[in-house]
Amino acid sequence: MKIMTKARLKSPWVLHYDCGSCNGCDIEILAALTPKFDAERFGIVNIGDPKQADVMLLTGPSNKRNQRVLKNLYDQMPEPKVVIAIGECACSGAIFHNCPNTNGGVDKVIPIDVYVPGCAARPEQIVDGVVLALQKLAEKSEKEVG
Amino acid sequence: MNQEILIALTVGVPPLAGFGCLILNNKIARRVIVGLTSLILIGSSLLLYNSGGLHYEPAPIFEILVLVFDLILLTYFLYTGFKYKNILVIGLSILQLFPVLYFEFILHGAEVTPLIIIDNLSLLMSLIISIIGSLVVIYALSYMDEHEEHLHLHGSRQNRFFFFMLLLLGAMNGLVFSNSLYWLYFFWEITTLCSYELIRHDGTEIAIKNSLTALWMNLVGGVAFVAALFIGQLYFHTIAIDKILKLSPNPIVLMLFASLAFAAFTKSAQFPFNKWLQGAMVAPTPVNASLDSGTMVNAGIYLILKIAPPLSNTALGYSIALIGAFTFLISAFLALNERVSKGILAYSTIGNLGLITMCVGINTPLSYTAALTLLVFHSISKGLLFLCVGVVENRVQSTLIEDWEGLLRRLPATSLIMIVAMMSMFLPPFGMLLGKWVAIDALTSSYYISSMLIILIIVLGSAATSVYYIKWLAYLTVLPMDGEKYGNEKVTWPYSISMLSLFGLIVTLGAGISSILNLIILPTLPEDYYSNISLTLLNVDTGVGSFVTYPIWILTIIIIMSGYFIAKKKGGVIKPPYLSGENVADDPTGFRSTADGIVKIETSAQFFEQEYNNDRLIEIAKIIGSIIMMLLFFAVMF
Amino acid sequence: MAENNILNIVLPVILVLFAPILGGFIMGIDRKLTARMQSRMGPPLIQPFYDVIKLWGKQPFISSSIQPILAFGYFAFSLTSFALLAFGQDLLLIIFTVAIADLCLIVASLNSKSPYSVLGGKRELISMMSYEPILLLMAISIYYVTGSFMVQRILSLNYPLLTYLPLVFLALIPVLIIDLKKSPYDVSASAHAHQELVRGVFTEFSGYTLALVELGHWTKIVLMLSLVTLFWATPIIIGIFLALILFFVVLVIDNVYPRLNWKSMLKTTWSVGVLLIIANIVGLISRVVMRI
Ligand code: SF4
Repeated sequence: MKIMTKARLKSPWVLHYDCGSCNGCDIEILAALTPKFDAERFGIVNIGDPKQADVMLLTGPSNKRNQRVLKNLYDQMPEPKVVIAIGECACSGAIFHNCPNTNGGVDKVIPIDVYVPGCAARPEQIVDGVVLALQKLAEKSEKEVG
Repeated sequence: MNQEILIALTVGVPPLAGFGCLILNNKIARRVIVGLTSLILIGSSLLLYNSGGLHYEPAPIFEILVLVFDLILLTYFLYTGFKYKNILVIGLSILQLFPVLYFEFILHGAEVTPLIIIDNLSLLMSLIISIIGSLVVIYALSYMDEHEEHLHLHGSRQNRFFFFMLLLLGAMNGLVFSNSLYWLYFFWEITTLCSYELIRHDGTEIAIKNSLTALWMNLVGGVAFVAALFIGQLYFHTIAIDKILKLSPNPIVLMLFASLAFAAFTKSAQFPFNKWLQGAMVAPTPVNASLDSGTMVNAGIYLILKIAPPLSNTALGYSIALIGAFTFLISAFLALNERVSKGILAYSTIGNLGLITMCVGINTPLSYTAALTLLVFHSISKGLLFLCVGVVENRVQSTLIEDWEGLLRRLPATSLIMIVAMMSMFLPPFGMLLGKWVAIDALTSSYYISSMLIILIIVLGSAATSVYYIKWLAYLTVLPMDGEKYGNEKVTWPYSISMLSLFGLIVTLGAGISSILNLIILPTLPEDYYSNISLTLLNVDTGVGSFVTYPIWILTIIIIMSGYFIAKKKGGVIKPPYLSGENVADDPTGFRSTADGIVKIETSAQFFEQEYNNDRLIEIAKIIGSIIMMLLFFAVMF
Repeated sequence: MAENNILNIVLPVILVLFAPILGGFIMGIDRKLTARMQSRMGPPLIQPFYDVIKLWGKQPFISSSIQPILAFGYFAFSLTSFALLAFGQDLLLIIFTVAIADLCLIVASLNSKSPYSVLGGKRELISMMSYEPILLLMAISIYYVTGSFMVQRILSLNYPLLTYLPLVFLALIPVLIIDLKKSPYDVSASAHAHQELVRGVFTEFSGYTLALVELGHWTKIVLMLSLVTLFWATPIIIGIFLALILFFVVLVIDNVYPRLNWKSMLKTTWSVGVLLIIANIVGLISRVVMRI
């Protein structure tokens, strides 16, 4: 059963959803996927389809309009899955703090596994966050298998 | 049982039973009569098949009867022409009536002995006609009740419907047994009459219009037939088919064959005569089932199959092949853009008849085998498809394939049968594909270098064919997420008997393809055709390739079962589709659009309407088709 | 003789069993090479296996109850048709059997109500319509050279087919591109992270159904590459080399060309592809005629 966990760790397919960010963090995510950092060597593929994704990358604080979509995407991802909140906004709302239209952090809508702070979060941090998330994924996987 | 009695039963009983239906216009009598007739018909044709070929001379009285009825028939056509002021019908009936009078009373048309020759081909045809035709008539018992219910008719018109349906079966059987061209012509005209009457059965404006189209197109064939009669009588002093077939080919003999082939093309709806079969779709579905699979169109195919042997290695044969191939290609493309279910089936029929015609035209033992295989399996599959379409149509009240979305859930049994029937039209390991495969083998191994053109046409056409079937098939399986269900699927016994029998035939004959080839198809080849097909337990070997039969069947079953097993084992929750996350929470059929408004999801099947237009294509095809038809008559000189 | 028979049965069986695995490695090579062409490191060679194992273990989500059966059908019929090839059977039959596999995939994608999946399915349908004639014509032109449709016959030739059918070989390139779902003809499924179609035909598959489809895809690729090897079947090693070269060419094309729309795909295959084959056959015939 170790194989399954290993395979899971070796092939995290990501879904990237922007729930109201300023696009700063999105650009950094894309930067992390460029040849310079080459995320694919870890098996990371930006898949764009929640039904096939294992890792969800969220940016932005999430607002009243898109929380429905966020919830839906989360529900469409099969277990085991991990969710990473990228950037201050996603972690806590940051500069959108107390704005009436935002939720102030994606964890108000769905459970988050890893928080990657920074405004904007740097590619290295993002990759680091993914590595952390993979540890969580391994834990989940072990729990599921065991 | 005595063979003469069997002939009398297969040819005579259906019209008499039809007459019974005509007089006793009530439901129970009809069911009894039709049930008994079908039993008799199927039984006697099987027995006849078993007893093998024979020559038979009917009593002289029949010759007079045939003449009288023929004249009545032609006069009736003339009358119809005047009634609907259709100049074509009038002209074409006159073109037949007076020549026939001249032929009979002035030329004293040659004596033919024997009048009836039954060979293996006739027996095979009779088997197809009797079995499939009877099943369709049984099916019609229920269908017509429902049909009339939907139309809210006062007083049933089913009596005339069943009269013509049954008459058609008798006439078809007569047609394939006759050895006299004149008799053949007579039965030919009866089938024309039946198709005309059946197409206009509903009496709507469009039905009458289309029935007149069918009438005049078939009358064109009749005129060609009369021409053939005259050529036979004037040049060779014979109209006996067995004698004509033995004449050594020269331009005049070939002219005779060309006329017959021309007549055959009108019946089997090759371009440019495709329109009548297309128009016939306004008729109640059993009519289409009968015309397109077991009966009418097969008359044309029978005629070409019959005259094929002397045509081998002639330009005429090649033109016949060209017409068939051309029709196959064009009808496949027309079907791609067709939205009406019966329309697709009609084009598919035309196309497959084209394929058969092509095979006959190529005229090698192998291609002849292919033609017969295609003929048998096409009749069964197409018959079944029409029956399914009829059932669905009465339940869903629409013939557009786009309205049939998710039928697999609404009418599971019917659509499952339908899906199998569709797959049997173009996929291995079913019989139709075997036929197509033999056809390609035959084409490539035939001597014509110019068969390259035909190969190209067939290859492109068959790609288009798979596309329109897959498209339709996929549409049936779309699952409407709202879980809406259409009534219950209770089917009456006529439905289940006819559909299940045909379904059983597809599966058993498909699985036992080697035995079918061995027992039925190879013995039907003309005398000097030695097909080098060898059959083993595992495959059908044509010498240039081999078609694996049983292993693929077994594998298919294993695959379906293990697929089912995996699906059961792994299971899974059915999730709404991915809609960029904009799904509506409690309504899986919609998504949120601007300002959170709910929009229903609509998906459509693939059509190529922007790429080409069916009407334009038909216009072009008609012109090209006519040119090739003219080639037919030029080809006699080579 | 007996040993020979055993070899004749055992070898194909082994081939069939290993075909999907081989396909996985080919996909791994594909990703590695593509990455190198984009001056990246690329994933490890066995990355596709990680993907499939992972997918197999995910929570099962399906889009309809028949979807898993069809997904399995795609894999199984691809394998069946490869098995026919491995046993040296009829080329036409092989091509027709691939059609069943395609049917399974297309129906599975069309039977969901997801617009992306339906769009992908339709385009897959058109892909099928584009390459099927080329494959059939390829089989027919092979017949003109060898006088048989059997793969066995090709394997026993003492001359390479390529010398007779160079243009047919060229016509196979678009077929390979379509089947590998590569640019410029990756119309049905945007292979890597193209967001326009989401995942095209594959959108509604997830977890084990996607794993099955992925396996089917691998098998089909092995099948197509094996068809290429037939062009230099004796010794087969050159054929394999040939297939790898063609595979490399396809990858280069993939990385150089942007995606075209389905119309140009259909037009290219039905005009250029068909014409190439016809030209080749005409050439063959004229060669025969000249000899006479
Ligand atoms: S954290 Fe900063 S960079 Fe990232 S989305 Fe928020 S404001 Fe933009």
